[in-house]
Amino acid sequence: MTANALDVGYLERLKQGQLDLGWLRGPTGEWGVHAKPSKVGLTLRDIATGSYGEVPDVATARSMAPRGSAIDPDMPDLGYTINSKAEVWSDNVMELYEEAVSRQWSATRDIPWTELPELDPDLEHAMSQLCTVLSEVEMVASDFPAKWLWRINHQFVEAKMFLCTQCMDEARHTEVFRKRALANGGGLGQAKSVVERFLALILDAESYDEGSALMHLLGEGIVLSLFRAGELIAPSPVEKRIFRLCMQDEARHVAYGTMHLRFRLNEDPSLAEDYHAYLDRGEDIISMLFSTPEVVEPTAILLAGSVEAATQMGASGSDVVRRQIIEEYFQRCEHAGLPRRHRTKLPAVLLEGTDAVGSGAGTGVPTGA
Amino acid sequence: MATTTSDLPALGADDGPDAWFEALADVARGEADRLAALGIADFRLLVEVASETDTARYGIVLDGYDVTVTHRLGPQEASSFDAVLRGETASWQELIENILANGGADIAHSLNALSIAGWPLQLSSDDPVGRDKFFRYAETLQALFDGISRVRSTRSPTTVREP
Repeated sequence: MTANALDVGYLERLKQGQLDLGWLRGPTGEWGVHAKPSKVGLTLRDIATGSYGEVPDVATARSMAPRGSAIDPDMPDLGYTINSKAEVWSDNVMELYEEAVSRQWSATRDIPWTELPELDPDLEHAMSQLCTVLSEVEMVASDFPAKWLWRINHQFVEAKMFLCTQCMDEARHTEVFRKRALANGGGLGQAKSVVERFLALILDAESYDEGSALMHLLGEGIVLSLFRAGELIAPSPVEKRIFRLCMQDEARHVAYGTMHLRFRLNEDPSLAEDYHAYLDRGEDIISMLFSTPEVVEPTAILLAGSVEAATQMGASGSDVVRRQIIEEYFQRCEHAGLPRRHRTKLPAVLLEGTDAVGSGAGTGVPTGA
Repeated sequence: MATTTSDLPALGADDGPDAWFEALADVARGEADRLAALGIADFRLLVEVASETDTARYGIVLDGYDVTVTHRLGPQEASSFDAVLRGETASWQELIENILANGGADIAHSLNALSIAGWPLQLSSDDPVGRDKFFRYAETLQALFDGISRVRSTRSPTTVREP
């Protein structure tokens, strides 16, 4: 009898009350385990006990069977291509999952949409343009994990579960920025090819390593800083709340990305050069965003309060944000074990005011421009 | 006769840092359910209020659903924090005044807005993941501070007797 055939004999025996009970009398698995809830409830960390809690360095099965379960010898191979823990793991991934589930919010319910004030037309245009860019870029952070999720071995399910929360977070970000653009008269603005080129780089990444470095560390790090800036320049409490809630989500994703890279390099330091190469390419393209008017000018106008004031301020306002974005990115790279200050491909003009100036890094013009 | 907190005078922005952080501790206790509804957290923030002669330090601890605000910390107690948020007394006083006047910080006085440029508040940490927790829990921290608009002064007499 093949594994897929209906066991008619069993059904006949069952009719006569002859239970098989092999699953009951056979391997006991985790029988007797009593995972204890911690103060916030029964968490992933709490149940990471016994054989279930042992996350193997290299997956011992290729199925969706939970760790700690007794696995049939003829279990089919589900075709996972990411079968080593270090490729997806981070020491904080269980806590980040719990936090993500606990701190979900609704773009429909939790934003006081009816309190949106009518804005000066230039400010409304600026906010709508900023929201257009953000709504465009955010969904890549759903698409990228979704592309790789089914390839990740189920024995690293906590990492998969966290990436599922990220997919939901980014769907909500895409939602909330579209809603904002369409809720107050501004409508959607200009979409730029340079933005899409960076998104394509993430989506087309040949490995999870490459895509995660580009997305979690570089892309989302920058977006996190943009959300902080958005909270600062919000023209009303409505946008203030939008950016603050998005900021929380984005910081979780960056925390995963930073700690994942740290875990990865700690397990295999020889990969550092590969990661440098990924970020070389990413920085080359992303630096062009800093000279894209549709990305830079809305923030400058909202920060200054008007087109006229932004004209007078020049780049001084957005320089604060630029320096912060770049400095925080370098700090995260260093924390992950991948110092970039002396290696960065960011052009010198973007490094002004950061500790990377004078390091010989950056040549002034992105090579991809 | 009973003591009712609503009989107490409102917190004053000039009450000083000990009163401000006592008020924050009151919010953490009195509005625990509202803060818990914002989700679990894991963050130890050291807040520094710097004057010309002194720096007063207080801890804000987010642990699961619990929020705790410490009394003024001694030098030995002001360690093991994920990040430090530092500002001069006048800057903190302006923040408190703004919250009390508006029932919560206005758009120019949120914790993020005041710290993003490194002035008037400075956020620092040796650990960027620890620093980023300030953003991961921004809603909880802001709700905590906004809550002091609903707290009565702790500088007033400890009991007020109803007629």
